Amino acid sequence: MSVAGVEIDVSAREEVPAWLGYATPLFTVLAALAVGGIALFALGIDPVVAYERMFVETLLDPFERTRVLIRGVPLVLTGLAVYVPLRAGLWNIGAEGQLYLGAVAGTWVGLNVSASAPVVVPLALLGGAVAGGLWGLVPGYLRARRGVNEIIATLMLTFVGIEVTNYLVSGPMSGTGNVAVTSELPAAARLPDVIAVVRTVLPGASLPFFEPLHAGVLIAVAAAVAVRVLVTRTRFGYEVIVTGSNPEAARQAGIDTAWIYVAVLALGGALAGLAGAVEIAGEQGRLQAEFSPGYGFTAIPIALLGRRGAGRVGLAGLFFALLFVGGSGMEFAFDVPAEITEVIQALVVLFLITAEFFKRYRVEVRLPGRTRRAGAAGEGE
Amino acid sequence: MVGFVAGVLDATVRAGTPLLLAALGELISERGGVLNLGVEGMMLVGALAGYMAALITGSPWIGLAVGILAGAVLSLIHAVLCITLKADQVISGVTLTLLGTGLTTFFGQSSLLIPDRYRYSSWVSASIDGFSTVTIPVVGDALAGLPVVGPALFDNTPVEYLAIAAVPLVSYLLFRSNLGLELIAVGDDPEAADTMGVPVFRLRYLAVIVGGGFAGAAGAYFSLAFPQGWSTGMTAGVGWIAVALVIFAQWRPWRALVGAYLFGGVDAFVLRSQAISFSVGPDVPLAEVINPVAALLTNSQVMAAYPYLATLVVLVIATERSLTEQVGAPSALLENYSRELD
Repeated sequence: MSVAGVEIDVSAREEVPAWLGYATPLFTVLAALAVGGIALFALGIDPVVAYERMFVETLLDPFERTRVLIRGVPLVLTGLAVYVPLRAGLWNIGAEGQLYLGAVAGTWVGLNVSASAPVVVPLALLGGAVAGGLWGLVPGYLRARRGVNEIIATLMLTFVGIEVTNYLVSGPMSGTGNVAVTSELPAAARLPDVIAVVRTVLPGASLPFFEPLHAGVLIAVAAAVAVRVLVTRTRFGYEVIVTGSNPEAARQAGIDTAWIYVAVLALGGALAGLAGAVEIAGEQGRLQAEFSPGYGFTAIPIALLGRRGAGRVGLAGLFFALLFVGGSGMEFAFDVPAEITEVIQALVVLFLITAEFFKRYRVEVRLPGRTRRAGAAGEGE
Repeated sequence: MVGFVAGVLDATVRAGTPLLLAALGELISERGGVLNLGVEGMMLVGALAGYMAALITGSPWIGLAVGILAGAVLSLIHAVLCITLKADQVISGVTLTLLGTGLTTFFGQSSLLIPDRYRYSSWVSASIDGFSTVTIPVVGDALAGLPVVGPALFDNTPVEYLAIAAVPLVSYLLFRSNLGLELIAVGDDPEAADTMGVPVFRLRYLAVIVGGGFAGAAGAYFSLAFPQGWSTGMTAGVGWIAVALVIFAQWRPWRALVGAYLFGGVDAFVLRSQAISFSVGPDVPLAEVINPVAALLTNSQVMAAYPYLATLVVLVIATERSLTEQVGAPSALLENYSRELD
């Protein structure tokens, strides 16, 4: 190919050089921060000072550090909800809707089952996972048995789920008053505070976090570990990966790919539903319309960043949570909209998929007037 | 009742126009084989950029042009990533929606570029004179005065008429011109098209960028025609409905027109029908079952889910009968094409 006399040769790489593997994440984050810095600079804010507030001070402050973990819980869980189907080659764009339905079911259990906490809380989380799982099962079934594109199906069901939630919180599940919100969950239906538990067991222990930290953090960690074990250590996980890399070969090898498709989307839905139930029982305490700031959509780039393993999904989720929390802190300090973090998140992904290309292909550019190097690629044009 | 129907019809055109513009753009892009899930982001960027340009220059027409340009620029990123760099279309599109939402929220709350002669503290608090309604010369006033349909059909801003005019144009270019038929070929079988000498990459770029321009125009409709102004996230998910609408319309411009006003009509009805309730008398058999079900089905929030459910049903039917060719779904949708690299 040649553009304005400049010759560009593109050829597939046989293997990825080791340095590229390490440089890619570093490059993408730095490039995203640099371009995001231009936006900050346009509003007259010194990007260096702003980023210091956003990252360094957020991590140094115990309160904000805890917020990162709390924000990370729904992000990691929904990230896993996208990650599991992605390993089988399916896109779950509908984690947001599954999250909403999980929150609805979890809240319903919390409000209507009167029992002690050890009974209600697991029941509410289970209800959330089942509701989300059913919401994922439908597109999974349609994909497996009828070949319906799961991207559009999960997306459509997301909006149906959000509207159903709107209807429920302003109608049948509405608390007192006219606002679209349910009553407050009873204390027995809330997730316990991990820090308080540790303080009771180990009085006088010095803890790096002092703010209430609900047990959802442990659930997210457990979910990441469980998904990792499931994908890398079980027969099911092996079949998922084979289906994801080559469905035709998987069928030839006797793998029931239809079952895999149903299972991964139902499992993904269950993880997102769990995220919704945990967010209500752990963090928000009551269900209101539009309670999620798009966790299920942010989960898509998170799953992309972490697609090589459940642990990486966890790290990517925490990184995005740091951006969210740091962005709010920066908004407070400099009076700039916190949405700069959405811009940075998007830029990280855009630079990452750009870098993917250069990892897969070697690109050689020759300026006009230069003689060809001997043995350069692209002889047979 | 006449007033209610006229009001709903008028609101239908207003709700349907941005939907139609965005869907036409998405349709062009998908016919070329590239799914663009960034419509919502492109609409927001078009809305804010168009609004800024209109305030600075004082002309809504320049605003519309800049809105189209802004949508096209954002879609150019999608084109480069998906067509040249073979990135995943879903990831790129979703991310561009994230980018467009973030950028417009960020700059929309700032006072960047607001001319000194205005004293607005941010774009959110600014206001402009956008497009005003026009009527057909001579007979216009009489037509606009027609009962029920008059205000909806004959008393609109120029953008509404332009959106309708775009339908036969897109339909003609797509199905009757060489360019359009080549584009359809590229969306169905890029390899075969390439063999026949059709410039696959160039046509895909063209389709994605024109599609982005339409999305930008749809966004500018919000800020310049109706409701006018800028507020954060003002396109309110219309870009996502547009993606659904393209499937509902089975990738055909005229059906997109029908679908846009159908979906817009549901939207308009939902907004205005809160006072309406359907019920049968107690002596009708099964009244105790019919009434709650009817109340549920006509609940405005439940009705808001209908366009998505309808799309899902159409998608299932379309796939079920494996009539993809008759349905019009581009067979190579989502498939990036590379010539000799892999």
